[in-house]
Amino acid sequence: MRYKLRHQTIYSYVNSVDNYHSVLCLQPQTLPNQICHNFDLSIEPSPTKVYPRKDFFGNIQHYFSLHEPHKTLKVVATSDIEVLPKILPPISSITCGEAREKFKNEQSLKIELLQFQLPSHFIDWDEEIKSFAQDCLAPTKPLFEGVSQLSTKIFKEFQFKSGFTSVNTPLKTVLKEKKGVCQDFSHLAIACLRSMGLAARYVSGYIETLPPKGKPKLQGSDASHAWISVYIPEMGWCEFDPTNNIIPQEKHIITAYGRDYADVAPLKGVIFSSGEHKVSVEVDVIGKEN
Amino acid sequence: MTKDISLSLLNSYKKVINSYDEVIDHNGLVKPYWQSLFDTLESIGIEELEVRNQEIINKLKENGVTYNVYDNNNGINRPWKLDPIPFLIHQKEWQTIEKGLKQRAHLLDLILRDIYGPQLLIKKSIIPAELVFDNSGFLLPCFDIKQKLQNQLLLYACDMARGPDGKMWLLDNRTQSPSGSGYALENRTVMAKVFPELNKNIYRNRLSPYFNHLQQTVATLGNISNENPNVVFLTPGPGNETYFEHVYLSSYLGYTLVQGSDLMVRDGFVWLKSIDQLERVDVIIRRVDDEWCDPLELKENSLLGVPGLLQVMRLGNVAVLNPPGTSVVENYGLMAFMQNACKFLLDEPLLMNSVATWWCGQPKELNFVLENIPKLIIKKANRKQGFKSIYGRMLTKDQLLELQTMIRRNPKDFVAQQEVSLSTTPSFIDGKLVPRFAAMRAFLVSDGNDYKVMQGGLTRSSPVKDKFVISNQLGGLSKDTWIVTDTPTEHYERIVVRKNTSNQHNNSLTSRNAENLFWVGRLLERTMALTSFLKIILDRLNENVNDKGQKQPEYLVVLFKSLTHLTLTYPGFTEEEDTSIFENPTTELFSLISDVKKRGSVAYDIQTLLRTTQQVSEKWNYDTRRIINLIEESLISIKSSSSANINQATHGLDMLYTRLFAFYGNIFETLPRDNGFYLLEAGKNIERILSLVSVLRSAFSFKNNEEVENVLMEAVLENHHLLAQYRNIYKSHISLVTVLNMIFLEKNLPYTLSFLLDTLSNCLSKLPKSIEPNRLNLAEKTVLEASTKIKLIDAESLIKADGDTQYRPELDQTLAQVFDLISAVTSNLTSLYFNHSVIQHSFLETIEKINSDEI
Repeated sequence: MRYKLRHQTIYSYVNSVDNYHSVLCLQPQTLPNQICHNFDLSIEPSPTKVYPRKDFFGNIQHYFSLHEPHKTLKVVATSDIEVLPKILPPISSITCGEAREKFKNEQSLKIELLQFQLPSHFIDWDEEIKSFAQDCLAPTKPLFEGVSQLSTKIFKEFQFKSGFTSVNTPLKTVLKEKKGVCQDFSHLAIACLRSMGLAARYVSGYIETLPPKGKPKLQGSDASHAWISVYIPEMGWCEFDPTNNIIPQEKHIITAYGRDYADVAPLKGVIFSSGEHKVSVEVDVIGKEN
Repeated sequence: MTKDISLSLLNSYKKVINSYDEVIDHNGLVKPYWQSLFDTLESIGIEELEVRNQEIINKLKENGVTYNVYDNNNGINRPWKLDPIPFLIHQKEWQTIEKGLKQRAHLLDLILRDIYGPQLLIKKSIIPAELVFDNSGFLLPCFDIKQKLQNQLLLYACDMARGPDGKMWLLDNRTQSPSGSGYALENRTVMAKVFPELNKNIYRNRLSPYFNHLQQTVATLGNISNENPNVVFLTPGPGNETYFEHVYLSSYLGYTLVQGSDLMVRDGFVWLKSIDQLERVDVIIRRVDDEWCDPLELKENSLLGVPGLLQVMRLGNVAVLNPPGTSVVENYGLMAFMQNACKFLLDEPLLMNSVATWWCGQPKELNFVLENIPKLIIKKANRKQGFKSIYGRMLTKDQLLELQTMIRRNPKDFVAQQEVSLSTTPSFIDGKLVPRFAAMRAFLVSDGNDYKVMQGGLTRSSPVKDKFVISNQLGGLSKDTWIVTDTPTEHYERIVVRKNTSNQHNNSLTSRNAENLFWVGRLLERTMALTSFLKIILDRLNENVNDKGQKQPEYLVVLFKSLTHLTLTYPGFTEEEDTSIFENPTTELFSLISDVKKRGSVAYDIQTLLRTTQQVSEKWNYDTRRIINLIEESLISIKSSSSANINQATHGLDMLYTRLFAFYGNIFETLPRDNGFYLLEAGKNIERILSLVSVLRSAFSFKNNEEVENVLMEAVLENHHLLAQYRNIYKSHISLVTVLNMIFLEKNLPYTLSFLLDTLSNCLSKLPKSIEPNRLNLAEKTVLEASTKIKLIDAESLIKADGDTQYRPELDQTLAQVFDLISAVTSNLTSLYFNHSVIQHSFLETIEKINSDEI
């Protein structure tokens, strides 16, 4: 499937901003199952220079800074992406307990996975999270099946509600209130997996959505999305989308992998200003006929 | 004769030794160089030693040497403690130690480069992966930063103490921004002044070559981009515990002292914001911890760093000593793997022992630790503030169990170190020479490929008997540290010559300092004005002492009210309905003197002033610092003054007043006439005008009967330092018209409004202009307007009062307008020169704000 992707972010500030520094993580990667044919970044007001960089995880970031007073900032990333069908390898019957032992004892595996097993900026766990994960990820349970179950459990028990949580809402609250957005569900699923000694990472990207039957697709109606990637021995990294309870296929476009949202935030910045700011984001994922 | 006493002093010391001591060699004999030190001490005599000790305390205080302790209730400054007995190491032994130190520096540098590079140490299982990935010092954004010299670890310090085998053992590593070298230098300087005779019989190596090496390394780093590099010394600010050292070292090395907000990143470079331009920065020596260096990529809420710094480092456009990320090798857990890492990376055994260390992340080690806690010291692998090392032998049974449970829960977080017996060294405590545990910090600097070791160091000894409490935070004593030689060593100093002497980089006035100097001027004058006015009131109160218990005379009521207006401490004396405050005015009066918590009081003002002077401590010379110390002493006496003793309070205020004047005199005579000076003067004049106008308004806006008005006129003239002049000209005749004419218009008397406004406009004209030189800027225009209003007055018409209300509309409104105009000058100056202080925010785009129903 081929997509034209457009991600537009507009910041408007009450007081003008004199200095602004930003790091973007918006460029979809070229991966075995995904080709980024074209990527274009447009920033207004225009910075003198944009510096691209590959981060520790191989994601592409862009740094820029602005030094003229401005009241709005517009960042538009457009890309032409081709997502190839994913062929799921044969499902491994390895259990959660066996996987955990493997991660402990196989040195090369341990080095690769350790950072995705440890607590990270937004992800930590306690007994409550552990007990939430317990039944899905019991030691004797096959790992793949367990993760699918966890994904289903989150999908069924949690209500998708935007505006209820913020990036700083602790997982405890999400678990208690059973509400949140894709980012919360992904963080929660990762916390569950890591609390059981398993390895999971955060995937930042997009998903194509379809308008209700008979209606045209509205501009800006898509959104950036997040899901998880779990390491399953004999299969490698496998992706799960707990928000939609599906296994990502051709509708999911991958931008970046990280330990959690903090590593791969699409846009982060430091401003020098004395006032409030508003942000509006529009995302379009338009499927193109091949 | 002397010899005999000497033996007795040494003998009496030997008698109190209860462990192995630095003074005694392994054959039980006194080491010869300690013998010569004791000889000298003997010739000085124990009583004189006490005198010199006091002198040391005074010198350190005068030099402003402090070590700030965050949670110390007695204010934030703790004086630095220096033991008059130095710590001695003979050069022969030192040469061996040096080899060990250099090897360790090389090793840590290689480990550092491996961790942020190929990670072979992990891949080959030489160090556990947890100690990298679960190490709070491992900063992912730093993995692609490589500075241009081969060594990434440029500055290194480590703490050592003598272990049971008689050799120096390594206790701890400092790699991100090692502190202490400045204190070592100051210790040496003070000791040389107070004990000139100590170095007569003993030769010791000099410390200065270390600093020359540092300057050369800095020059090499900077030369990559600029042949005359602009170097800054980045401090977290006066709240930091070692702030004294930042001020001291930056000035010794000749680098501009800056805080994060003084720097900005733009167009791929780091710039220093001075009040009239941006200057490119080539090298940053930082004392800001790793994580706080760049809020964009590291700790997002850091206000101490420079957003975008890491990106400039990646571009190679600025060098940082040490580069952020270096704290990864400070992790205690790594100490357990040094021997193996050394074999792997350097193919040689470790030369210097470290204290035996066990990382609890391994099952065997964990069991060992759990079973041997009483012999061990327990630490967290990641240095975290607040976790104090636990001494196993001090624990009760319950505490022991608790600790075991804590370790079992997260074994990977814990490290245990053997509690070794360390050597003692003579310390001068309570007039006696007694043995105390000590540790020495050594300092190394890289020249790019190799390390140079400071020929000395910073020794800290425990103030408590038989306990190893050396940290400054806990009150440890410091010692001058000598590398003793048998013959005098010649030294060659290579001085880094600046290639372009016209370059003024190193005395740039940062916008922040510009603002601080301006406020020093304002706060100094605010304290002066209030002190002066209080003295006038106290005099009147004393004269009126006969009427005690009765209603206060009207003029005192007016003066009291003026005091509330001046200090903005409403309601104070201005309560309209309830006038009971005048029955016993001294309570309110004295709270305005001594209550340090009351905003607007003398004590409060002094404290704010002192804090602001500290922000710009690098601007003050030795004498200014002494005067600041005196003002600090005045604060103590002012805080204790009470209404029970008005004379004593007056005396305290007099003393303070003289000291504040000494401050004025000193800065006026010594400060260079640069932007900083004119801003300070502008601040002073603004505050002076505001306070005089405030008192004038309160005194004369309403007409009083002649008798009251006469007293008020005298008081106001005194407040303007004009009473003598007035009497000289007009003798005993006193009228409001002549008084106002003099106060407003007289051009040659320093406390008249005309004079002050002229001075203020002169100061402002000296400051840099961004627009064409002949055009007045906003601040100058405002002052001109105020000045014109003052000069156009007609005193006859000013004093006209409304027959019913006794209100003098013209006088009051003129003064009100002038007050408002002069108040506005501060914000004019802020937008012209200090406009850096906009608040910095970090934010992440948050998904929850996306308007979408389905994801």
